[in-house]
Amino acid sequence: MNEKVTFTVDGKQLEGKQGQLLIEACEDSGIHIPRFCWHKRLDPVGMCRMCLVEIDTPRGKALVPSCTTQVSEELIVETESDTVKKAQEGVLEFLLINHPLDCPICDKAGECPLQDQTMAYGPGESRFIEEKRHFEKPIPVSDIVLLDRERCILCARCTRFSDEISGDPLIEFIQRGNKTQVNTFPDEPFKSYFSGNTVQICPVGALTATSYRFKARPWDLKKVSSTCNCCSLGCSVELNVSQNKMLRILGEDNEFTNQGWLSDKGRYNFEYLHSENRLLNIHSRENEDYQTINISDAIEKIKDKIKDLDNPEIKFIVGANSTNEEYFAINKFANSLNRNEFLSKDKSNVYFADDHIHNGYFSEEYTNATFEDLDNSDAIVVWAEDIKDNLPVLFLRIKKAVKNGVKLVVFGHTNTALESLADLYLGAEIVSNNFELKTSLSNIQELKNIIDSKKVTTIIGKSTPLQKKDSLDTLINHLQKVSDLKIFNCFSKANTFGAIQHIDQIKGLNEFCTEYENSNKNIVFTIGANPVNSSFFGSKIKDILEDTDYVISLDIFKNETTELADLILPTTAFGEKEGTITNMEMRVMKQNKILPDPGSTLSEWEYLIMIAQSLGKDINYDSVNELNSELASQFTKTEALPTFDNLNKPSNLFGILNQKEINLNIKDIDQDSPSLLMVKRLYGDSSTQINSPSISMLGSERFIELSEFTLDKYGIESNVATLTQGSSSIFVNIKLNNLLPDNLVLAPINRRGFEKLDSTKDFDLKETKNMKDLSVN
Amino acid sequence: MSWETERLEKAKQIIEMYPQKRSALGPLLYLAQDKDGYISNESIVEISGLIGITEVQVQSVASFYSMYKQEPTGKFLLSVCKSISCEISNSSDVINSVKNFTGLSNNETDDENFFTYESVECIGACGGAPAIQVNYETVEGLTPDKAVDLCKWLKEEEPEIVVADELQDKFGGVKSFDWAIADNNGATSPVPGFQTYDTSKEKK
Repeated sequence: MNEKVTFTVDGKQLEGKQGQLLIEACEDSGIHIPRFCWHKRLDPVGMCRMCLVEIDTPRGKALVPSCTTQVSEELIVETESDTVKKAQEGVLEFLLINHPLDCPICDKAGECPLQDQTMAYGPGESRFIEEKRHFEKPIPVSDIVLLDRERCILCARCTRFSDEISGDPLIEFIQRGNKTQVNTFPDEPFKSYFSGNTVQICPVGALTATSYRFKARPWDLKKVSSTCNCCSLGCSVELNVSQNKMLRILGEDNEFTNQGWLSDKGRYNFEYLHSENRLLNIHSRENEDYQTINISDAIEKIKDKIKDLDNPEIKFIVGANSTNEEYFAINKFANSLNRNEFLSKDKSNVYFADDHIHNGYFSEEYTNATFEDLDNSDAIVVWAEDIKDNLPVLFLRIKKAVKNGVKLVVFGHTNTALESLADLYLGAEIVSNNFELKTSLSNIQELKNIIDSKKVTTIIGKSTPLQKKDSLDTLINHLQKVSDLKIFNCFSKANTFGAIQHIDQIKGLNEFCTEYENSNKNIVFTIGANPVNSSFFGSKIKDILEDTDYVISLDIFKNETTELADLILPTTAFGEKEGTITNMEMRVMKQNKILPDPGSTLSEWEYLIMIAQSLGKDINYDSVNELNSELASQFTKTEALPTFDNLNKPSNLFGILNQKEINLNIKDIDQDSPSLLMVKRLYGDSSTQINSPSISMLGSERFIELSEFTLDKYGIESNVATLTQGSSSIFVNIKLNNLLPDNLVLAPINRRGFEKLDSTKDFDLKETKNMKDLSVN
Repeated sequence: MSWETERLEKAKQIIEMYPQKRSALGPLLYLAQDKDGYISNESIVEISGLIGITEVQVQSVASFYSMYKQEPTGKFLLSVCKSISCEISNSSDVINSVKNFTGLSNNETDDENFFTYESVECIGACGGAPAIQVNYETVEGLTPDKAVDLCKWLKEEEPEIVVADELQDKFGGVKSFDWAIADNNGATSPVPGFQTYDTSKEKK
């Protein structure tokens, strides 16, 4: 595949790789061949005929599509001959037979390949005088994507994406000939976590997203590259802004991470930035009500409170959406409190709000994996929380690797979506309902065949907060022994890796609950975290925060946690702050600012440094650049430090891989996994999502998953049921999933209606027979 | 579950004939058409479950081929050839006479669900043009009048089974050559009869 071949294009000698497609080889050498259907990341189909070129064959010159022709030694190609030009004019004249000339009202106009290429290669006029074909326009193919079939030029990019890349082919060509159209099956919408990608790769305005329709013209957009923070994969994105409003997020093709794709959450989770519910002022609780106060009063209040409470314990609960610079500032501030006055040295006072965090495998005996390793290894072994829901683009990378022949082994119960890709799915027979291994791994012959003395990449993390780390250790030790192992520590939330890199000693919410002593005077900072809503310890934390003497919340929305705060400091969000984040392969990437700070919001670090200074601490940073250059200097590989200057270099646009010592000290939760397993789904009721109208309804579906056996056990025959626990009951849809073991029920943790459920307590499931049984609560 | 046990059993047999389940799609669509006379959405759902592809992928194939009917078909499907050999042997007159008699235009079914009319591309009977098919049973050497007689006869007799040779004797003209399969059992419905897949019933 890597053998070089020499060929001639328009009289110029070029070099390409054996087996490479002509269109791609030309592109690499700077010769652009027009195309509609060909896309670098999709298999070629040769559908649109726009990339026709002339090549020399034994039977004379011939027109061939360059997207399905491979380069070969001494190939002679003409891309600008009269014949090619005539062919291109002909193709465009045909394409424009049915394509409406509604560019003035089309969202794509201005960045439309059909428009641009018609200008560049088109015939100028058409001989077609008949009526164009008509369809109802537009039709919704899903909740977020609309389809205008009149504009469609049948390039099959969207249908190929949904089949080859995302693996949910819910759109296809229907009918044939002049009647051909892309459509869904009736009542079977294009419900995909990745549907937004089809909008981005559509070469015309046929697929549009509800969030961007008629909002702006491409030439009015201000653009900046950034890094998505919806999960810890670190997808490269382009933020599109007009008149200080974020209007669109596009995927950038970062070879190392997302390769052009985004999940719909990453793509459409931005409207919240301009929601009227955004916190824009500092709120201070006076008696029962909140009052708006200014920043100097707020800082004064905090200072006074600390003085009044006379050496209180100050603890921090941090979320995953801060930048490395912010975590660095949090660490500085927390440390200054820790070492000097308020706390004893052996206790950390920073707690991370993700229940799935554990000590991981970071020490020197383990090799950290990169996403490239997925493609280059012989096998991938997954035992973690649901990859498709929590790290959607990683799911695409795994799917791609499997397509290229890498073997996949999945350990049970939470990754049932990976089962269809897996060569070996180790479910109920190997993994207990308590997420322990039932048999010795060396006894499993199929596993042996796949991993022994092979290059293995493992994605490892706790499937549920209650899983014991012993079980993971067993797997890792076994893999370490029998294979050449590289490890992904699977922490899925946004900038988790930034937090654990930059906070000296970070703990989990379990530790927060056990270390909190209500006999003391306490102050708790919550920073971009909503543990009351999203944590396994939600109700415990709620009790604690109610008991705490003073709670200070830094957040962008009012939520279940800020409701308990005495002081709410509004912070800046994605696109409003500059900084770096670290993804799960330890790649440090840049997040850029393109929006002004709304209202009187400030960055988290600005608040913290102001507070620190008011307390007389010697922590002085005037800009995020200062924070960045100091934190960057602490990375181990000194030749590639992730400073802003370095990251802004074109060669580093896709991030810098670097390491930093990681110290985690997190204990298992002393409790067995119950039969109600609460898992996080891609869409839920996070305050960012419910304030983004385009995607807010996607997390509203109430469903539970269970196997046929479990269903029979509860005597349920229909597909709806009532889930009861104590005084609360929820009406739920039932999804059958026979990969689940007996007596295990999967419910989403981040959905409206499920927040009152306690997975550690007993529950009952009853068939809902009529509307009277239906209680909405 | 819209398919009866017998049909599901047959479907499983067909699927087993292929190395990949999805390759069985074509014959399964004939099974579906045998059930309802057309490819119903319920059958599409059924097939998608049987061979593990999505509904829309099934529909994509089903809507591509014109012999998979997307609408219910009448008891008798009249397919008149309009391709070149028939056209120069005056098939347009045959087409017009059938259209006039039935009152149908292309791809229409009458209110009684009796006739469905379609004009089709070459049906491989050029030597005996013009030709017509009744439920895919071919009659050659037709005239406009004979075509009307054929329709009238179908209307009056309502035969359970139509057999090409019988129709040819009654209404046909010049026949190109004796091409039909020897033990042709005829067709009982407007579904292409493929004995392998049991979509045509035994004559006896």
